[in-house]
Amino acid sequence: MSSRSTALALCSLAMLLGLATSVPTIAAEKILNVGYNDSLSGPGAVFGVPQQRAIQIAVDEVNGAGGIKVGADNYKINLITNDDKANPTEATNSVRKLIDRDNVKFLIGFCCSGPTSAVASFIGNEDVLMLVGTAAEKSITTRGNSNLFRNRPPGDFTGAAAGRFIASKGIKKLAVIGALDAALYNQYLAALRVEFEKLGGQIIATESAGLGDRDMTAQLTKIKGLNPDGLFVEIYVEQAAFIYRQANELGLKIPIFGFHGGSEEQFLRVLSSEQMEGVYDLRPTELTPAALGPGAAKFAESYKKRFGENPAPNTGYAYDGVYILKAAIEIADSVDVKKVTAAMASMNVPNDVVLKYLPVDGKLFDQNGQAYITNGAFQWRNGKWTFVSELPSDTKAYSDALSAARAIKNPIK
Amino acid sequence: MPSAAEILQQIVNGTVIGSVYVLIALGLTVIFGILGVAHFAHGSVAMFGGYLTFWISQKYGLSLYPAMILAIPFGAALGVILELFAYRPVRNAAPINAFIVALGLTMVVDRLNMLLFGPDQLVIRTPYNGVYEIGSIAVSELRIQVVVVTVVMLCLIGYLISHTSAGRAVRAVAQNPYAATLMGIDVNWISLLIFAVSSALGVVAGALIGALLALAPGVGENLVIKGFAILILGGLGSIPGAIIGGLTLGISEALAAGLLSSAYKDVIAFMIMIIVILLRPQGLLGRK
Repeated sequence: MSSRSTALALCSLAMLLGLATSVPTIAAEKILNVGYNDSLSGPGAVFGVPQQRAIQIAVDEVNGAGGIKVGADNYKINLITNDDKANPTEATNSVRKLIDRDNVKFLIGFCCSGPTSAVASFIGNEDVLMLVGTAAEKSITTRGNSNLFRNRPPGDFTGAAAGRFIASKGIKKLAVIGALDAALYNQYLAALRVEFEKLGGQIIATESAGLGDRDMTAQLTKIKGLNPDGLFVEIYVEQAAFIYRQANELGLKIPIFGFHGGSEEQFLRVLSSEQMEGVYDLRPTELTPAALGPGAAKFAESYKKRFGENPAPNTGYAYDGVYILKAAIEIADSVDVKKVTAAMASMNVPNDVVLKYLPVDGKLFDQNGQAYITNGAFQWRNGKWTFVSELPSDTKAYSDALSAARAIKNPIK
Repeated sequence: MPSAAEILQQIVNGTVIGSVYVLIALGLTVIFGILGVAHFAHGSVAMFGGYLTFWISQKYGLSLYPAMILAIPFGAALGVILELFAYRPVRNAAPINAFIVALGLTMVVDRLNMLLFGPDQLVIRTPYNGVYEIGSIAVSELRIQVVVVTVVMLCLIGYLISHTSAGRAVRAVAQNPYAATLMGIDVNWISLLIFAVSSALGVVAGALIGALLALAPGVGENLVIKGFAILILGGLGSIPGAIIGGLTLGISEALAAGLLSSAYKDVIAFMIMIIVILLRPQGLLGRK
């Protein structure tokens, strides 16, 4: 090759390189598979189906706005959905399929404590990130899994505040009916009992009901015979609705407190508004559009427009879960699960969430992967759940106690 | 120690749920006593009736009873279809064939319910929310109606069997199907009639369960298990036995849950049945 030809070739190469660097980068559109496991049929569907709808709204919003931005790429979320039927074995199989067959690295959903606890027992050994929605059983975040996060506070975080609230209403003799075999409700009641008894109250009866039971007249008749000042109900929404209806049918005219969540529509499918009048629900301040601002109101409006009913309170966790995952991926600027996990562990409260989180040391999640929101007392008044008051809770103290429980369970970690 | 009022209230509670058990057991005992078929799908047929009542009440804005009356012919038609296409082909085969068909039908009708009406829990809403209090005993308007409807259905079935020519033919087939055929009774027609009537009773039971409690997958299976237990308790094929057995089961469940623990509800109820069977193997009102 002559020196002239060589010079020409070098010149051309330089021009090509110059051209290449001067062309603006075009973002590639990619797909991010996200495993969505939830209780979409069976007794847990009352929580799972609203979660699924909320997640679908959030995913459509994220994808519609261009997806999740990672470097030069935009990732659109593709949900791979599995139903665990609120059954621990089904949940284990479902999540194994999502990990082994579908190769997903990010898991969301998880409304029910039983199946979620089953998955939490092995997820620490997997190279995935799991973000839990509504499931509130305490041990889900005390197993020492660094790849598991939950944006709903555990049941006993609310139970203690509920005990103080019930005592403040002048109740001295309280009867309890609920799914006392379930760890979540047991933990809530244990925390409630400590605070309630500290303030001079006494729990005079604890009656158990199954999560699939619908006729609780026998237990309520027994409770009525003991003449309590108040009744506390902790069980799934549908069963709680039957208890309220049957308490009314048995002429049990005492203040009633509950822990169940559930929208107005879900209760009105079982009983009348008059039968619900005055009932309290003592739970985290979940989706309450009037109290949470424009973001929550916009989500509630989208939900109602799309599904023809108001969102259940627990939908806020699911909706936020998608935005928390999006924010963590964008902070990590990667879809590498380890980097996203690290980003999630140290992130602040993202802007797009609708619930009011209580940061611990400035972070959304504490050292246990646990996030907190405020607790509230809601009362059924004229066909609606009405916010009555906040139930004060010491987040930092609870978080430290949770860490202690985690350390006891996992002394080596 | 529970008071007398509490025990009386538990008996009232048990009578209401026992009434629904009676309706289910009645349908089963009529089919088993006359045709010798263990119709396991009866609970699913009852659920079909309940779901249909719910659908009609929602679609046409009807209250419980008009919707239930409209659903009854469809339930009866489902019973006729099951007899014609599932049980009749195996009527003269070994009993195990009918047994397997019955098990298969349970799954088929359950799946049909799921496909037509979905997996969600449904409650038939009624305006009967009033509560009557007599002393310290309280009972709602709807619960009283459940008992009244059961009594009306029992009277109706009793009248049909005792005072109509079709009823006489049914009794003849029950006593001796071969002799009945020789006397000119069409056994095929009687078999269809029995399935239609039994399924109609199932629709009433399903609608009442839907109003009192709820319609959901799994409810029909529990009902049919209890229905067969009542059959054994009361005596196979005995209508008075189904009534006594249904009420005994309902009341013993309520007393067990109220006086001991709800966890032992089914255990105590079935223990009573085992004791009765040990002492009277033919059931409370069955013949040796």
